[in-house]
Amino acid sequence: MATPEIAVAKPDDLTGIKDSYEYGFHDSEKDYAFKAKKGLNREVVEEISDFKNEPAWMRAFRLKALEHFEARPMPEWAGGHMDSIDFQNIHYFVRASEKQGRTWDEVPDDIKNTFDKLGIPEAERKYLAGVGAQYESEVVYHQIREDLEKQGVIFMDMDSGLREHEDLVREHWATVIPPNDNKLAALNSAVWSGGSFVYVPPGVHVEMPLQAYFRINTENMGQFERTLIIADEGSFVHYIEGCTAPTYTTDSLHSAVVEIIAKPGSRVRYTTIQNWSHNVYNLVTKRAIAHERATMEWIDGNLGSKLTMKYPSIYLMGEHAHGEILSIAFAGRGQHQDAGGKAVHIAPNTTSTITSKSISKDGGRASYRGLLEVAPGATGSKSKVVCDALLLDEESRSDTYPTIRIGEDDVDVGHEATVSKIGEEQLFYLQSRGLSEEEASGMIVGGFIEPFTRELPMEYAVEMNRLIELQMEGSIG
Amino acid sequence: MTDTRTTIDICGAAELEPGDSRIVEIDGRKFGVFNAGGELYAIEDRCSHDDGPLAEGPFDPEARTVECPRHGSLFDLRSGRPRTLPAYLPVETFPVRVEDGTIKMEVR
Repeated sequence: MATPEIAVAKPDDLTGIKDSYEYGFHDSEKDYAFKAKKGLNREVVEEISDFKNEPAWMRAFRLKALEHFEARPMPEWAGGHMDSIDFQNIHYFVRASEKQGRTWDEVPDDIKNTFDKLGIPEAERKYLAGVGAQYESEVVYHQIREDLEKQGVIFMDMDSGLREHEDLVREHWATVIPPNDNKLAALNSAVWSGGSFVYVPPGVHVEMPLQAYFRINTENMGQFERTLIIADEGSFVHYIEGCTAPTYTTDSLHSAVVEIIAKPGSRVRYTTIQNWSHNVYNLVTKRAIAHERATMEWIDGNLGSKLTMKYPSIYLMGEHAHGEILSIAFAGRGQHQDAGGKAVHIAPNTTSTITSKSISKDGGRASYRGLLEVAPGATGSKSKVVCDALLLDEESRSDTYPTIRIGEDDVDVGHEATVSKIGEEQLFYLQSRGLSEEEASGMIVGGFIEPFTRELPMEYAVEMNRLIELQMEGSIG
Repeated sequence: MTDTRTTIDICGAAELEPGDSRIVEIDGRKFGVFNAGGELYAIEDRCSHDDGPLAEGPFDPEARTVECPRHGSLFDLRSGRPRTLPAYLPVETFPVRVEDGTIKMEVR
């Protein structure tokens, strides 16, 4: 497959973006507890492990993963897009605060002010069942509603999860994404820090969402959180993550690993609103296993970052399991959103849908990259893949790289793809009703991504629409 | 029904000590043979994830697993089943025994 050219942000390009990106501020680092020197080697990995006072098996896991990372070349299919990352110009571990707060008053003022600006404490009071706030490499605040804790729901940062529930963690750790799965998963496995550990006991429904928020503050920072969610039989949980970072003229790296195990009859919804600043490489591996009658849903929104490469996956391992992937990507100037999803049907009578919506403007590039696979024996499986791309100007671009592998005859599989522009007639009609051209374009884009926003809790849908409006500012004329 | 099983000599028993593994090629087919603490195992040398080589990956005699060198799936040598993704289909396993000081494998 030929690999097309990619639009890469030059520092000058960021000038205009700073204006519309409202989370580009940064805090002082003067009170930081620890900041590792730049660079990656065995000593850095051992230092992280020492800091966390980990069991020997985790230390060995990290060191083996480092060997994998060093031995693996960059993936060829990435077409050289990641080649400009300088892995030795990154801080791999930064501890901003010595201890984690159970109330916001226990969080250092600077950091608390940042999360106030991001609206997290307010959202927690109003409509969340629990919140984890990660700042740099570690989680600085964590809280879960008492009634859920009493029901046996575990929601804590991954470091505490390993300390307090080692057996449960070890049983599931890296079974969904092994350390040698890909180069970036190997990197995360070597230097992971923070992230969430979630366990929902059988039959327990967590009706309000759990929210994790990830904030990078330092320049040339690498954030490598690791999340493991285990939904036991018949349970339900909705996990939402958001992320932002300051705008710098040099690059940062975010490379997470998220593993989800949806046991029989459970349902897990994982929602992401990714809004990194435009100097962040966002290279994430997310994968879920859905057992018999389980439902797994990835609701994946990508607005920020310089380059995102992320394809949430679902392995449908048990009969009647269902998978849903809904991905939107907004690529503005200097951005490349390489998003999509993967559904792998392993058991009979499994179903999936992948819906991808992308918008490109000001020379931005959005790509859909996806896999639909039906294994031999997965009879009666059904899947539908829909990819819609909206191009807002002549200089922007959209690409689709779908892979479909069908190993069974008795299946029902569909793939549709469209590429469109905002029609003159649509604009004319809306303007004839009194809207400006900008308002009309915004309304058309809002309608285009409506399948995504309608799946979000109301407060998030409102925020999402506001972010899209910000992205759309100045797109006309 | 015709029995298509064939017994193949792999090597002398002393040549594959506990913790050792080796890859053998027979009529264009490759197999991995492993000695895990005195227990012998044989699997096809093909990862079910993407058909790449398997048996040259890290061998853990204690856990009785071999790790795919390409994408990290761990395979159970006893059953051939993957313990971790991204592989999800089992690989073929073959009976191995020591007879008259020689390791022998039965293939179909």
